[in-house]
Amino acid sequence: MNDDEKFFAWLDGELEPAEAAEMEAKVAADPRLAGLAEQHRALKARLSDAFDPIAASPVPEHLKTAVRPTAEIVDFAATRRARKIPSLPQWTAMAATLAAGIVVGTMIPHGSSAPVEVQDGKIYAAADLNRALDTQLASAPTGDVRIGLTFRDHSGEICRSFTQQAASGLACRGGGRWQLKGMFAAPEGQGTDYRMAAGMDPNLAALVDSTMAGEPLDAAGEKAERDKSWR
Amino acid sequence: MDQSPSFEDQLAGLLPRLRRFAHALSRNSPDADDLTQATIERALRSRDQWQPGTKLDSWCYRIMRNLWIDTARANSRKTAREAPEEEGLNVGLDPRESMDAAVDLRRIMAAMSRLPDEQREVVALILVEGFGYREVSEMLGLPIGTVSSRLVRGRTALLAMVGEQ
Repeated sequence: MNDDEKFFAWLDGELEPAEAAEMEAKVAADPRLAGLAEQHRALKARLSDAFDPIAASPVPEHLKTAVRPTAEIVDFAATRRARKIPSLPQWTAMAATLAAGIVVGTMIPHGSSAPVEVQDGKIYAAADLNRALDTQLASAPTGDVRIGLTFRDHSGEICRSFTQQAASGLACRGGGRWQLKGMFAAPEGQGTDYRMAAGMDPNLAALVDSTMAGEPLDAAGEKAERDKSWR
Repeated sequence: MDQSPSFEDQLAGLLPRLRRFAHALSRNSPDADDLTQATIERALRSRDQWQPGTKLDSWCYRIMRNLWIDTARANSRKTAREAPEEEGLNVGLDPRESMDAAVDLRRIMAAMSRLPDEQREVVALILVEGFGYREVSEMLGLPIGTVSSRLVRGRTALLAMVGEQ
């Protein structure tokens, strides 16, 4: 440590007591050093005055939300790591898709506000669900649809998981629309609130795991894909 | 039963300080909040790499610093020499404060943004965030002597830029 470094280490309280006492005496005996110490103490105070208000000001809402991404991203990552759900064979995804058909067939009311529509044997998102998949970001839930993960599948199409009321599911781009890959009803008596607290439906997690290529998009990636209309 | 605060709670508690560090590293407020957001996401994704019992704050600061190097540093190098005075951020400035104080804060922040990156991070961590030399040396993976010499150069340059009060 050269003399300059030692002087500043003393100023920052980083010296051992014996060395500190020695430097203290040296500074006391040298008006130039004493002046320098004063200037640098003032500089540190000015830095605090400049930056401390940032730590004291309210944290923007979007950052608070980012810490608690409704458990899904975190959950999913944890599940994947723990490999509680091993890489699932293709039939699981097919079974999940069948489950979607059953759910859709039995619990979704018909009419223009139904969240899905069937065309040529394929199930597509409609109404509010379609709008949410098109425009909504995971960090900014509005209405009764909440977006979970956004990622690319093995053919490079964008997929998004979602929760709507008592069901959750996965939709991927296909033919310029959101095609449902699976949709699962929450167990009896478990509404949205419970689901949010409990994290992702295990069936959905399995479907997501078998569909996803790579990692989920982060908030910036999700927004970028939305801004180019998921192409 | 485990009564310790959850990872998310601890991370939420660190946000004010992480934002302050982000503002010291970045040249403007939107970049700082983007950096904070990226840090949160990375921390959540890598949470199993954090060892409970070790300091979560050092771990998060290190993530933020590394992300900043990966992204912002590459961009900012281009504009390093032309950072306008006004970009000294207007975050946290109380309009009721005297004009002189406000001007001084802006000068300080602008001066920070003109420091070379490797000096700025050390000045921010030690003089603004209050970490010790040893902690910063571990956080940045640098010998303590390097931390110490960068700090001397950084604070000396700062003082030369902003002058005495």
